[in-house]
Amino acid sequence: MSSWVKKGLKTGIVTTSYPKEDEKTLGITPGFPKSTDCDEVDNEALISLCPMDALYYKNHKVMIESKDCVHCYRCLRNVEKPISWDDGFKWSVLQKKQTGFSKSFSRSIHILVVDAGDCGACLNEVKLLNNPFYNMHRLGFFVTPSPRKADVLLVVGPVSEHLKTALLKAYNAMPTPKKVMAVGACSLSGGVFKESFVVNQGVEKILPVDIQIPGCPPPPLAILEGLLQLVKEKDNG
Amino acid sequence: MDNLNLLFASVFIIYFIGIVAILVLPKKMSVAMLGLSGATGSLVLFIFAAFVLFRSNPYLLSLWEIRGIGKLSITVDHLSAFFLLVTAIAAMPASVFASTRISKNPQNYNTFIPAIYLSLLVSIILVLVASNVFFFLLSWEVMSIFIYFLVNSGKKEHPGYVMLAIGEAGTLAILVALVLLAQNAGTLSFAGIGANGSHLSARLQWVVFLLSFFGFGIKGGLIPFNFWMPRAYSVTPSAFIPIIAGVTLNLGLYGIIRVNTNLQFISQTGIGVVILITGAITAIIGILYATIEDDFKTVLAHSSIENAGIITTAFGASIIFLSSGYKTAAAMALVAALYHLLNHSVFKTLLFMGSGAIEDATGSRSLNQMGGLLKKMPWTGLFVLIGALSISAMPPFNGFVSEWLILESLLRSVELSSLGVKIAFIIAGALLALTAGLAVTCFIRAFGMSFLGMSRTKPMQKAKEVTKSTMASMAFLALTCLALGVLPTFIIPTINKSVEPLVGKSATVALVPPFFTNHNSKDKLPQKFVSAFHDIGAGVAEDLVPARGLVVMHRGGKANPVIFAMSTSYMFVMMAFLLGLSAVLVWVFVKRKRKVVYLPRWDGGIKELFPEMTYTATGFAQPVRVIFDTILHPEVTNQHESVAEHFRVTIRRKKEEVHLMDRFVLYPVINFTQKLSKILAKMHNGRLNTYAGYALLSILVALIIALAG
Amino acid sequence: MLIRKITAEIKTLFSFETEPVIDTASNTLKIYCSHKQTPLVCDWLFNEKEYHFAGLIVEENALLELYYLFVGEGEKGFVNVITADELNTQNFESVSLRVHAVDWYEREAEDLYGVHFKNHPRLGDFILHDDVWQEGINPMRKSFDKDKTLFNRKPRQYYRPRKIVEEEGSFIMPIGPIFSAEAESVHLQLETIGEEIIRAFPRLFYKYRGIEKIAEGKSIENVLLLSERTAGTTAFSHALGFCLAVEKLSNETVPKKAQVLRVFFAEIERIRNHIGTIEAICNSTGLVVAASQVGILEEEMLRLSCILSRHRYFFGLCVVGGLSYECDKSTYKDSVEKIKNIVKELGEIEEFLINTSSFLDRLEEVGVISAAQAKTHDLVGPMARGSGYLNDLRKFQPYLKYDKLKFDISNETEGDGYARLRVLFTEIRESAKILEQVILLMPEGEIFIKMDIKPGTALVGIEAPRGASWHRVKIGENKKLLSYRMLMPSFRNWHGFHVAMEKYAFQDLPIILATLGLSVAENDK
Repeated sequence: MSSWVKKGLKTGIVTTSYPKEDEKTLGITPGFPKSTDCDEVDNEALISLCPMDALYYKNHKVMIESKDCVHCYRCLRNVEKPISWDDGFKWSVLQKKQTGFSKSFSRSIHILVVDAGDCGACLNEVKLLNNPFYNMHRLGFFVTPSPRKADVLLVVGPVSEHLKTALLKAYNAMPTPKKVMAVGACSLSGGVFKESFVVNQGVEKILPVDIQIPGCPPPPLAILEGLLQLVKEKDNG
Repeated sequence: MDNLNLLFASVFIIYFIGIVAILVLPKKMSVAMLGLSGATGSLVLFIFAAFVLFRSNPYLLSLWEIRGIGKLSITVDHLSAFFLLVTAIAAMPASVFASTRISKNPQNYNTFIPAIYLSLLVSIILVLVASNVFFFLLSWEVMSIFIYFLVNSGKKEHPGYVMLAIGEAGTLAILVALVLLAQNAGTLSFAGIGANGSHLSARLQWVVFLLSFFGFGIKGGLIPFNFWMPRAYSVTPSAFIPIIAGVTLNLGLYGIIRVNTNLQFISQTGIGVVILITGAITAIIGILYATIEDDFKTVLAHSSIENAGIITTAFGASIIFLSSGYKTAAAMALVAALYHLLNHSVFKTLLFMGSGAIEDATGSRSLNQMGGLLKKMPWTGLFVLIGALSISAMPPFNGFVSEWLILESLLRSVELSSLGVKIAFIIAGALLALTAGLAVTCFIRAFGMSFLGMSRTKPMQKAKEVTKSTMASMAFLALTCLALGVLPTFIIPTINKSVEPLVGKSATVALVPPFFTNHNSKDKLPQKFVSAFHDIGAGVAEDLVPARGLVVMHRGGKANPVIFAMSTSYMFVMMAFLLGLSAVLVWVFVKRKRKVVYLPRWDGGIKELFPEMTYTATGFAQPVRVIFDTILHPEVTNQHESVAEHFRVTIRRKKEEVHLMDRFVLYPVINFTQKLSKILAKMHNGRLNTYAGYALLSILVALIIALAG
Repeated sequence: MLIRKITAEIKTLFSFETEPVIDTASNTLKIYCSHKQTPLVCDWLFNEKEYHFAGLIVEENALLELYYLFVGEGEKGFVNVITADELNTQNFESVSLRVHAVDWYEREAEDLYGVHFKNHPRLGDFILHDDVWQEGINPMRKSFDKDKTLFNRKPRQYYRPRKIVEEEGSFIMPIGPIFSAEAESVHLQLETIGEEIIRAFPRLFYKYRGIEKIAEGKSIENVLLLSERTAGTTAFSHALGFCLAVEKLSNETVPKKAQVLRVFFAEIERIRNHIGTIEAICNSTGLVVAASQVGILEEEMLRLSCILSRHRYFFGLCVVGGLSYECDKSTYKDSVEKIKNIVKELGEIEEFLINTSSFLDRLEEVGVISAAQAKTHDLVGPMARGSGYLNDLRKFQPYLKYDKLKFDISNETEGDGYARLRVLFTEIRESAKILEQVILLMPEGEIFIKMDIKPGTALVGIEAPRGASWHRVKIGENKKLLSYRMLMPSFRNWHGFHVAMEKYAFQDLPIILATLGLSVAENDK
């Protein structure tokens, strides 16, 4: 047993200091396309490259519909004039002004994770939230298997029709105040499975979503940033 | 005296009127007579017994003189009075219950069964009051026969034979024991035997003890001969099981107590150790099988065995203390034993009534098929819950007081000097503690699987609440459970009245200190002691309640002034107060401000939770089975049915547990007897010449004996 | 060529209406059987000749054709046992009575295509849940109309769990689909009488997304997106399988550097996936210290993957014609050094784990799958290698450059959780060895070439981290996919799940589940 203690002491603390300081290590995020001025790119060619029709033209810029992007990199790779790229991770989109979580919830939010047909990548990133590198426990976020104890419902995956009842039951079983967080392109719009006959295109079609985290998959820090937004704790950025 | 004679006679008159009425009247009315006569007679019996108990002298009645046998006399001393009291308390509601059950399905019962029921009550009274060996054995046999009729009245095939056979063996042992005593004393009357009781040799004590203990132990449900009990109880109709379980078990224990404290005085500590250990082992085996059985009635039958074991353990402790000269400790232990006996009669009768009500409402006794009955039978559920809480020794109910007193008396073994005896006490105490834990498991399972959860089968959904008279009987017993638990300081002096003549010292003084200073009692406590306890509230309600005090406490010497203390009376008041306060607080602070929403149970998100997806009683008890696997030694048979080897269609498994006592006692005895019979059967080879030879041989042997003697 | 030998042998044993044919282009032996012959031939191939069963493919042309694919050990090429019947009335004989490994494929065919097997004992609620779908809808058929009402709006009366155990007091313990903190959605029905699990039945396909159907008619690039996101944690391997299959339909070859790099990335993904499984095993036994230490290594692997390809899970990296992103050589060399360090740390952790008796106690002799059971269900991947049933496609049907690389396959025989854990550690070490060799082999040059894909059918098998997986593509004239069939390793292994679970207690369930390393997303497609 002491060997584990020695190993732990040798490994030291690897936890990121986010949200106190911004995290800039290499490899923590795949990045996200950024809105680009039309002068830097060839609009039409670029917009037609996207298989999810996530790019559109507005106000002299190529804009991104973030909930559709599936990280295929076609607008970035092997393109003469690629789109601008955001190498950060703060992509969460609040759907409405957040109220409801009073002071008693600070440092104590319980999350129920529902896998509604996800491929495994988003779920793995959610699992990594409690990895020693990210350690969401220090910020007061905990995962619980029971909806009766949950405050936040985190949904990953396009909602397969087979799981619709389970998802609705889980939401209804949660006591108020409760919030819904949709993580990953699939849960926002159906992702690459949009056209499937057995998939509801995103959680929005079934439950009221409070915050969206786009990406395919969004890295743990993006999800963490979303959680902090949800409970109204702002970071330094 | 005249009043007592009148009361005593009235009891019998009421019963006889009842019996005659049943034999004469048409069926419908005779069933009502059963309830009326039984309840009234028991009520009068209760009053009579109470009077006798509070008198200072026993009640004597001489009957006829039979030549060669002596005077048939009836002596109701304090021990008998106590047992009559217990019988009466149980018999009152049991008779009403029996008549209600019979009137629901009259076609299932023989017309004269109610008469036999009343006759059984009469014979029980006679057993308890007989003071002559012959009279006692006669009443005992008659009682056994009546019990057999009642057990057998359910139209099952050969149910009571085991009971009858082993019962007769027991009676034989009792006969030999009593005859030995009578021969030694030179008289058949209990009084005479009792007077001679202190002069018995050690060897005689042991022989009489063994014969009477294991002989009466058969009726009392002690190992190793209690294998008849689960069998008999499960076939007895639900109308009669309350009286049989609640009352007849006590008779066995009565016999043990009577013989070993009144008719002979035990001076051998070893005897007490045997009683102690036998009781403890009985208790643990009883509760073990109770926890794993699936049939509600059988669970209760094994639980009766357990409680008989507990009572016997306490009695054994008492005998050890008595034979070592520690009379106070002996008195405490015996009071605890009798208190538990009283409590057991009350809550066991209640529980059997509950199980009988469920059986009649749903047709099922299997815990695996029940469920969700609390919504359909709320009052039955409430009363069975009270019974389950009492039997699991939960304060403030009665089971708690008596089990607590028993464990405390076992701890008094520190005063003894012999190491071996102390070790025996430790073993017994440990086994009783384990029993108490298993008892809680057992009754959580029994109550939870039958009343809570989902209805597992269709008949559960059609169950209806019981009739008002059944409810009244159960309510009476439930209230009695509560009363016996909350007022121990009244009950202990009452029981003490029967204990003091046997032991020689009063337990009241040792257990109930007179904290109420306005109570005129002969013994006073040191002033400082009393004021210290009044500071913590031991004097509360002294103007309201006519008692010595409301705290049960055993005092020690200067170094250790309080050895143990508890007060269920105050506990009850505090519990009621706190529960009420909590309810008010919840209403004020929570319910008024927040909305309470009732949501369906969370089942993991599946579409529908079917009854076969909920825990069964067998599943609940599985960990106990796994832990005690070596003792239970189940036989497992496996059978797979499949299509093309891999598509399984059914998996049939059966686990049969053969009861320990069956394995170690019953089946070996049966096998041995059969082997012996086979050998002896060779004598009957059918040839006339051989038989003639036997006759000649017997004459020769008789001549030789006559010449030699 | 061994296929010729089989052909000769089979002609002597059975008499066929149409002669078996060897298609040299795809290296396939096609045996056309009547309904009655199909189970016999399959039985002979599987049980006597010890072939592996790759999968069942259903094609709807003029007739409804069933292709049972068999692969020989160490033999290049496939054997197809083909049988056909009318589109709307079928009378197929079930092969699963003789070859149990075929069971789930036939059920899938019945659910999705409406194929009727005469004597299959367990058809019914499988992929299309009976309490959700209307009767008689077969999504994979051409006649499927997705605008019709598909789902049951009526109350749920159409599904009741099947209870097999007949014992007093037995009941079904339901678990899921939403049960543990971060587990995938699957519904387990454990028949039990208390502590012991007598029968474990997984009700899967709660995550069914209908990938094979939506792939029909899409362009190759878009189907590549689907293929990656079937099982995100092994995205590169499945994308690789798809690309190799499509590239078979072209005359050009992928540049050497891309081929070598593909091996490189596939092994990195294997290492990372296995580390994830080991972390799950440590978590399931409650040894959080070990799980955290292993978790650190997993995150380091993910960050490394992100540096090498800009995406933590290699999405968008493997494309038809090569790879889409490259770094300079020093990055690759540094990453190999980093991985060697990670593997060394992992070795240290393995030492500690083996000496933690409380951990080992819960893995040893728990969840045992015997070699015979692995053979009956034809299990694949580390789950099978723990029982001594070896079928690693990198050795037995080498693709890319695997035949030139020196590495060993782990071989354990106990079949319990501890054996599977050892297999994972061994495979990580061997993959690290491969990486070292690959770095030395890497040539200069392009990593991508634009390929001209001709219409046709191609089938390729690759060793994904969870086991052998086959991809079959059929491309039409307009360069769009006519059909895409994915034969996933988890589909095979979930079939063998009940073997590992039965006769153990409730407390062993999460641990056995973790050691099997199954993916529900990969299974449900």
